[in-house]
Order: sequence, then C-alpha cells, then structure tokens
Amino acid sequence: MYKTEIRGKLISGDKSLGQISQDILRPIDAKTPRWWYAAMTMSLALFGWGLYCKYITVSQGIGTWGVNNTVAWGWEIVNFVWWIGIGHAGTAFSIFLLILRQKWRTAINRAAEAMTVVAVLCASLFPLLHMGRPWLFFFIFPYPNTRGPLWVNFNSPLFWDFVAISAYMLISASFWYFGMVPDFATIRDTTKSKIKKAIYGFFAFGWVGSSKEWLRYEGLSFVLGGIAAVLVVSVHSIVSTDFAVSVEPGWHTTIFPPYFVVGAIFSGFAMVLTLVTLMRKLYKMEDFITDSHVDAVCRILVFISLIMGTAYITEIFMAWYSGSEYEMYTFFKNRITGEYALQFWGMFTFNAIIPQLFWFKKVRSKLWVVFIISLLINWGMWFERFNIVVTSLSRDYLPANWAEYHPTWVEIGFFTGTIGMFAAGVLLFFRYIPMIAISEIKSVSKYDKPMPEPKIEHHD
Amino acid sequence: MDEKFIIPKKFKTISYALIGIGVLAFVIGFFTDAQRTWANYLLNNYYFVSIAIGAAFFIGIQYIAQAGWSAAFKRIPEAMTAYLPFAALFFLLLFFGMHSLYHWSHEGIAETDELIAHKQPYLNIPFFFVRVIVFFGLWILMTRLIRKISIKEDLEGGLAYFHTSERYSKILIFIIAITFTLFAVDMLMSLEVHWFSTLYAAKSFISAFYHGATIITLIAIILHQMGYLKMLNNSHLHDFSRYIFMLAIIWGYFNFSQFMLIWYGNIPEETSFYVHRWHGAFKILFFANILINWFLPFIVLMPRKTSRSKPVLVPVILILMAGQYMELYYDIWPAVLHEAKFGLLEIGAFLGYLGLFALVTATALTKANLVPRNHPYLEESVYHHF
Repeated sequence: MYKTEIRGKLISGDKSLGQISQDILRPIDAKTPRWWYAAMTMSLALFGWGLYCKYITVSQGIGTWGVNNTVAWGWEIVNFVWWIGIGHAGTAFSIFLLILRQKWRTAINRAAEAMTVVAVLCASLFPLLHMGRPWLFFFIFPYPNTRGPLWVNFNSPLFWDFVAISAYMLISASFWYFGMVPDFATIRDTTKSKIKKAIYGFFAFGWVGSSKEWLRYEGLSFVLGGIAAVLVVSVHSIVSTDFAVSVEPGWHTTIFPPYFVVGAIFSGFAMVLTLVTLMRKLYKMEDFITDSHVDAVCRILVFISLIMGTAYITEIFMAWYSGSEYEMYTFFKNRITGEYALQFWGMFTFNAIIPQLFWFKKVRSKLWVVFIISLLINWGMWFERFNIVVTSLSRDYLPANWAEYHPTWVEIGFFTGTIGMFAAGVLLFFRYIPMIAISEIKSVSKYDKPMPEPKIEHHD
Repeated sequence: MDEKFIIPKKFKTISYALIGIGVLAFVIGFFTDAQRTWANYLLNNYYFVSIAIGAAFFIGIQYIAQAGWSAAFKRIPEAMTAYLPFAALFFLLLFFGMHSLYHWSHEGIAETDELIAHKQPYLNIPFFFVRVIVFFGLWILMTRLIRKISIKEDLEGGLAYFHTSERYSKILIFIIAITFTLFAVDMLMSLEVHWFSTLYAAKSFISAFYHGATIITLIAIILHQMGYLKMLNNSHLHDFSRYIFMLAIIWGYFNFSQFMLIWYGNIPEETSFYVHRWHGAFKILFFANILINWFLPFIVLMPRKTSRSKPVLVPVILILMAGQYMELYYDIWPAVLHEAKFGLLEIGAFLGYLGLFALVTATALTKANLVPRNHPYLEESVYHHF
C-alpha cells in the first residue's frame, strides 16, 4: 500500500477512469489557446533564423564560425553535448523509474520521452554540420565502398559516437511511440472530428485494448526499456570518450564516463522539471502533476547535484594530487582563474551549490523557485560543457599554439535556432499528443485505496 | 512484530574462536614477516570498514528515496554500523605500520622525490591521522544519531522521528560522499604514491556500497533461516538481489572505464599501476576480478527466478565476499610486497576480523527489537509483493 500521508498524493480529486481520460484529452479537442500561437511564432522565428545561419554555414563553410586551428571544437560541440545530455533524461526517466517501480513516473514520462526525441534531433544537427561537407555524411557508415575501399576508423570514439547515438535515437523514438499507441486509440474512440479520427486511428495501429494486446504491450515496454537503459549509459559514456581517450590535460581523466552520464541525467531531469512545471501551470494539470511529483524530481536532482559537486572537487583535488604541471595549469590557471573563470564558477554555482537548496522542503514546495533553479541547472550544465571543451583546447602543451575562441553570430544563431526547434517541437507535442500517458496514469488512480488481502507466496 | 534476537551459544563460541585465530595469526605474523602482516592489517581493516560504511549509506539512501520495501530490515544495516568504533581504533593503530605500508611516510623521501614533496602538504603522517579522526568521528556521530532516533521511534512512535531520520540521512550521505572518497585515496591510492586516477575514489565508494549491500542480504537470509524476520519473502529477496545486480554493473562499468581510458591514453604516469600488475598471479587476478565482481552476479542474477532464490543468492554472496577481498588484494599487495604471497597468515587474519565483525553486528542486533515497530513504511514492507 502506498502511504499518502508521508509521500503525498499521485492524483488528486478522486477521479474516475473516464474523468482521467477526459481531463487529459481536453486540451487536444479544445480551441488552441492564444499563448500557444504566440509561443509557436516566436519559436518558429528562432528556428528560421537558425536555418539562415545553417545556410550560411553550408554555403560559405566552417570559416564563418569562431573556431580556429587550436580551438577546433567550439560552441557546436558544447551544444551537441548539451542537447544530447538533455536528450538523456527522457529515457533515463522512463526506464530507470519503470525498472525501480516508481509509480509517480506515470505523470511525467510521456513529456520526458517526447523531449528526448526532439533534443536528440537538435543534438544531431551539430556534428552533421560540423563535418563541413554534410552531404558526404554517409561516409561515416561502415560499408564496403568504392572509395578505396576506405573504411571508417573503428578506433575512433567519433565513430562509436555515431553508432551509439543512432541506436539510442531509434530505441527511444520507438519506446516513445509504442507507449502512445493506446492513447492514440483513446483519442480515436473519443474524438468527434472525423479527420482526427482518421489520423489518430492510423497511428493507433488498430489497437482495441484486448488483454492479449496489453500483454504484448507490456512485454515490449520492458524489452525496449531494458535496451534503452543500457543505451542511456553507453551513449554519454561514449560522448565522454570523445574527450577522455585523448591525452589533452583536463580531458584525459578516468572519471569522465560516469561523470558525463550523471551530468547528462542531471541536465535532462532539470529540463523535464522545467517542462513539467510549465505544463502544470499552462494546462492546469495540478491534479496529475502534484506537489509530490515535483518533490520527487527535486529529490533526485539534489542527490545528483551532490554527485556532481563531489566529481568537481575530485577533479580539482586530483589535478593537484597528480602533481602533473599540465593538469594543474588547466585547472588552476585556466579554469578556476583565468579567462574562462566565469564559465567555471557559473558551472560550479549552478550545478553544485544552488541545487543544494532542494534539501529543504520549503524550497521544493515553491513552484516558481523550483522552476528558476531548474533553468539555472540547465544553464550550469551548458557552462560545464563549455568549460570542458574550450578551456582545455585553448591552452594545451605548446604555448605557441595557444589561442582564444569567441563565437560568431552564425554560431550563436545556429544555437538559438535549435532552441527554437526544441520549443516548437515541445509545443506541437503539447497540442497534438496526450501529454500524460493516460493508460499508465490510470494504473495509479486507485493507488491509495486499500488493497485486497495480500497473499504471501510460497511457490516460485 | 516484537521479536528479540538472541545470539546462539555456538555462534558466540565460533566468533571468539575466529577472533582467537586472528590474534594468533597477527602475533605470529608480526614476528616473522612484519610488512606482510601490516598489509593484511590494512586490507582487513579496509574490507570491514567499507562494509560498515556501505551499510550506513544503504540506510541513508532508503530514507531519502522514500523506499518502503526495506523498512522491516532496517536493523541489519544499523547493527553493521556498530563496527565503526572498532574500525576507528584499528585505523589509529595503523600509526605503527605506516612505514611498512606507505612509501611517502619515509623520512627524507621528499628530498629525493619531487612528486612526493609536492604531495607532502596532504600526505604527511599528522594530517593523515587528523583525517582518520575527523572521518571516523563524523561517521560514528551520524550513524549513532540515526540509530538513537530509530530506537526512540520504536518506543514512542509518531512521524516526527521519521522526518528526523530523513534529515540525518541527508547529512550522512553528504558526509559520506566527501569523506569516504578521500578516505579511499588516503588508504589505498596513496600506496602507489606516484599514481593517480580520478575514478579510483568513486570506484572504491561503489565497492563499499556493493559489498555492504551483499552482506545486508546475507544477514537477512541468515536471520530468516534461524526463524527470525519471517516476513522475508521472494519479493524482498528480489529487491536485495537487484541492489547486488545493479551495483555489480556499476562496479564493472567503473572498472572498465578506468582501465580502458588509461590503456587508450597510454601515458606512463598512469599506466604504471597496471603495468606493475601485468604479470604472474596479479595478471590472473585482474581477469578474475572482472569475472567475479561483475560477470558472475551479472549473469546469475539476471533472470527473475534466480534472483528470488536463496540457494542461488547465498553462494553468489559468498563468492562476492571473496571478490571484495581479491580486489583489495590486487590493489594492496603489489604496492606493498611486490609479490603475491598468500597463505595461512592471510586466511587467519581474515577469519579474525570476520569473527569480530560478526560478533559486533550480532551483539548490536540483540540491543533492539529486530523489526522497527513504528516505522511508517513497515506495513508496506511486510506485505511487499511484486
């Protein structure tokens, strides 16, 4: 039995199953609110501006960016890692909480998974355009070819990255999509519009909700979930090896794989929190996304923040402890102090210090404070990636090669374009897809009612 | 729900006998091969303190994650933390063995070794023991507080104690995160004073949690077999083995990450650790370590059926106990003795500590009701089923 007096409610309002469907589907059938059009216009404007910057990049070349021979990876890689990190949470959220039987996931998992798919799409644009000649991107597929044959470098983490991310994208998109099938069927069966009936009916794959279908559905969720759980860890571990297998000071450190995975989940959960608080306010979903949901996400965030803080301190301590002058230079002269100190301290404050406020229940229960902290964490995680990518490159072993890096307007436009793309994707999701998994949230609707007399099993 | 654990006479006798064997082993050891005996001393001390800290972390994580299923078994990790004061005393006595173990503690070494001179502000004997005192002071203080509140809750009930426990758990986790990582650097990593790895501390931390969780499971099963904790059912076993399974994966992941990155980077400062261990028995241990600490629990505990079965879990736990020993042996022996010596001394020393740990834990178990009577999640835990 679920003790509501300690953990808080999962659904308020004592709704019947029918009411739950109605409440969640209401925004889809309602008239599109005016703020939605305003927000969509803004997102599309940003997205369009991003497209223009991409056009400049492709037509004129990478020279339009601020990267140079020394700092060959600039904002693009920062943003790539940042978006991929955010893209982690959806799946991490859904899968890990599914495996851990955390029933409160049901209110949030759909939003998290949707966000994953959009974020991974945003992320994949950066390495694609960074290739310089993106129309030749298929060179990265390892297949017998007529170019020699010229094979990809299997020893290169950049290739591992490609494999990991494409696999992750496939699995998380299927996980998200198959999760929606029963809900599409609900829309098909309840909507009055013929067009909607046809469209949602097509995507519902003829779902009727028989027990056999549910059996297969649950089996599929667990299998996809099991695969995706591994991918969540592998993707960001491999992203970290993009840096860590080099011998660059500040990059080559053994803590990187788990540190990146944890950081990714951190930023992703923060983004989930941002979206969920927005969703709750804008669509008045307080009955489904209750205070205890927000509380639970905050608890996870503060724990991860503690890991992040410990990792930062470990890195700094080890830089000194190692006695290696390059490590020490990178950390003490080029990160904690020096030209990029702002980014370092931004990272440290936003990721390791401010989230510690979540230890206090007072902070966790104030929605606007939670919202602001979630944005700060996202910002802090961006700083972290900047801190890693740019500082190490700008000053490495040879002072003759030292250089500075400043982004150009094209790069900034590219980045804001992906933000527009992300926002537009999320808005479309809010508008056309049930933003809470109806079929799943129904499973917790009677969670606080007494259960039938439990049987203590002796078989098995 | 009221049950008191009474230590069987036989258990007491065996424990004392084991302690006797341990004392004998150490006495003989110090007279014949002092350095090797100190290595044993360090290994066993670290082994059991890591289990106790793992147990403390387990309590904390249950509270902050609002986990209900484990509430009925809370007394077990609590009892395991009762070993911490003993461990504190042993670690203070390490003072007499510093020179046998830690290269950096030698007089005048800083004048010839630039790197050690650089590390001297951190790695020096007074500061080393200041840290030991501070770390153990904090650990004992926090685990005692949690235990006190837990017993008060038993007597008086009410949600207030539950909330206090949660608050203390937060502080405990905060403290363990910072202190235990440094503790692993001090005790183990500084043995190879020129070597460093940022993941090492985290890996040691995970090892502690890993092996702490396995011992909690073992004690729960033993108590159940003795007729206590009747509520232990297959679902509880499954959740315990999930901890073992999950931590095995994390351990394997950390172990791989550390090795792979050092191998790929191929910088002499970093590879020295593995190069030094890439021959003879240590090379075998390197692979055996992976096999036992990751592969075995990973494969065996994957199916639902095996992870709910005591006849499978108990052997896995026993093998993992050997696994933790092997990992520490792999880290300590090449650094201190440079050769793989294993004999009666090692076995005797381990048995001695095992006896002491078992006796302390069992005694602590008798001091309170075996089931936390007024724990708000108790009902949920007793009827746990999935």
